[in-house]
Amino acid sequence: MTHTQASKYGLLSFAHHHIKRTLLPLREKLAECRMRDNKTIAQRWQNMRVEKRRVYTRLLSGLAAVLLSLTYAMPSFADDSDTLNIYIWGGEVPDDVIQAFQKETGITVNYSTYDNNETLYAKLTAVGNPGYDIIEPSSYYVERMRSVGILQKLDKSRLVNWHYLNPELLNKSYDPGQEYSIPHLWGITGIFVNDKYYDPTKITSWKDLWNPAYRNKLLMLNDLREVFSVSLLTLGLNPNTSDPAEIKAAYKLLKTLSPNVKLYIDDTVISIITDEDATIGMAWNGDVYKAMQSNSHVHFIFPSEGYMVWSDNFAIAKGAPHLDNAYKFLNYLMRPDIAAKVTIEEGYPTANLEAEKLLPASYRNSPIIYPNNAVLDKATFETDITDQSLSVYAHYWELLKLES
Amino acid sequence: MKPSGPETEKTGIAASIYTYAVYLFFYIPILILIVYSFNDATYSVTWKGFTLDWYRVLFQDTNLWIAALHSLILAISASMAAAFFGTLAAISLFRYQFFGKKLVHGLVFILIVTPDIVTGIALLLLFSLFHLPLGFWSLLLAHISFCLPFVVVTVYARMSGLDKNIFEAARDLGARDLTIFGKIIIPLLMPAIIAGWLLSFTLSLDDVMISYFVSGPGFEILPLKIYALARLGVKPELNALCTIIFVITMSFVVIAQRLQRKQP
Repeated sequence: MTHTQASKYGLLSFAHHHIKRTLLPLREKLAECRMRDNKTIAQRWQNMRVEKRRVYTRLLSGLAAVLLSLTYAMPSFADDSDTLNIYIWGGEVPDDVIQAFQKETGITVNYSTYDNNETLYAKLTAVGNPGYDIIEPSSYYVERMRSVGILQKLDKSRLVNWHYLNPELLNKSYDPGQEYSIPHLWGITGIFVNDKYYDPTKITSWKDLWNPAYRNKLLMLNDLREVFSVSLLTLGLNPNTSDPAEIKAAYKLLKTLSPNVKLYIDDTVISIITDEDATIGMAWNGDVYKAMQSNSHVHFIFPSEGYMVWSDNFAIAKGAPHLDNAYKFLNYLMRPDIAAKVTIEEGYPTANLEAEKLLPASYRNSPIIYPNNAVLDKATFETDITDQSLSVYAHYWELLKLES
Repeated sequence: MKPSGPETEKTGIAASIYTYAVYLFFYIPILILIVYSFNDATYSVTWKGFTLDWYRVLFQDTNLWIAALHSLILAISASMAAAFFGTLAAISLFRYQFFGKKLVHGLVFILIVTPDIVTGIALLLLFSLFHLPLGFWSLLLAHISFCLPFVVVTVYARMSGLDKNIFEAARDLGARDLTIFGKIIIPLLMPAIIAGWLLSFTLSLDDVMISYFVSGPGFEILPLKIYALARLGVKPELNALCTIIFVITMSFVVIAQRLQRKQP
């Protein structure tokens, strides 16, 4: 570092001294020249013009290089009919599925991802749809987006593979009549437990988490609706409640759970369970299933009071510029072989009933990832609540976090 | 480390331990990331054995590479444009008098301290006002605008260190403005321009906040992609990608140092 600086300053002072030293004699010489010989002046003038041109050329070529790189990089503004813009959850459609779709149809897929519904919602509502065709809101966000009118009603006559979908997951309160959304992947929030530390047969309900034996052991999801649903379900209340009194009661119960909570987290849950950094707590079934692949001591329990179920659903954004391609893509993803492939690669249960039959037995026979319909009957979909109710939740959520 | 440098004093053991501790603090996370890119486990963060699988997976993930390419193109274009316009701005701020010069100069610093989120929303509103589709061009304009002040400041600082007599001398010798610009100012400012360019390149390459607001459907860039993927559990292939980026950056630094050493 010092070396280069020295050389830079060396250059600077060299130029400085050089010009100073030659300044006086040259000035005299110049005056002489000017008086003595007009031709020299003409020559100098000529030189300067050449110089000027050279500088211009240099500047222009620099600019040209910039522009050239820009035009090279310019995305396909020209031909737009063969593209499809999708904006979906990261890690829910594998890359090779998209590659295969592109190969099969000749459609170029512009694939962007997000990591939470708020991001998607903000992007679509800030200044209107910037050009996305297919989006993937979670169930309760379908409800919100539908109500503010930023989803395009699905034309089911164009969705030829619709009949493969699992009817158990259709027609829920977040989208009555399933007019706007197509469930893609789904999951359940339950309890995980490591049998090296605790006896899994002794845990059957959410209530068991309050057992003083689990002091400072529980992993809780860092998600206010999920955590409150545990308490609301334990109290026998509706986990989608908007009643401030019920929310307060749930908070009071959660406060008594605080001594048992080790941490609130919603990312890297899989590694925490796998590495036994947490040995009991709440988790999504998909995460637990993945953790079980490398740690056979992990178990998943469907709490007897009931549990929340989520689904991430494809929808067409209003103002989608490539409607035809969007339908092609949706049909493609509803193909049983493709849906099965998605589930195998991404590790979440599919909403495609026909695809379940194509799954390897290890998936199909796993009650964790493929609970039977009786188990699904006890599940409650998380529905959207008003911002006002959400702020009540948020208030108590903050209190809970502050006190823990 | 060069003996020809300024006289160095022996420091105490405590001081050198302290220095090494600081460096360890900086580099341990990167080292851990590199180690994990070879770990034979998808989710576990304990060591399960050596594998090159994640690199294989990475090379097959074309979407990630497209995003990386997009980021690179964007960073190069934005930093070059920022270096070009920023240099011109710094020179005119330094050399010429014009109405509102002090204000303009002050505004440059305000741009630097403005939170990204404000810049992001402001740009998004501006683009939507002019119906500029969100995508490459909106990203480019946004990146140029947040890189620009850094170039201006770097170049301006060096410019203030120059001896004004040089310009006068050149003018006395008959050089016109353009000659002075091309033959004297630019070469003398070159280190600052390159520094500003590199700064812009880095800023552009890892910007998430502003890019989030102004990115559109057609042009996914790497920081946004990594950000979206990381929350759902960092896939080891991301570690592999970051390792490759780190190795490339390191080799650039090494090459640059070698080149400088060769100079007289």
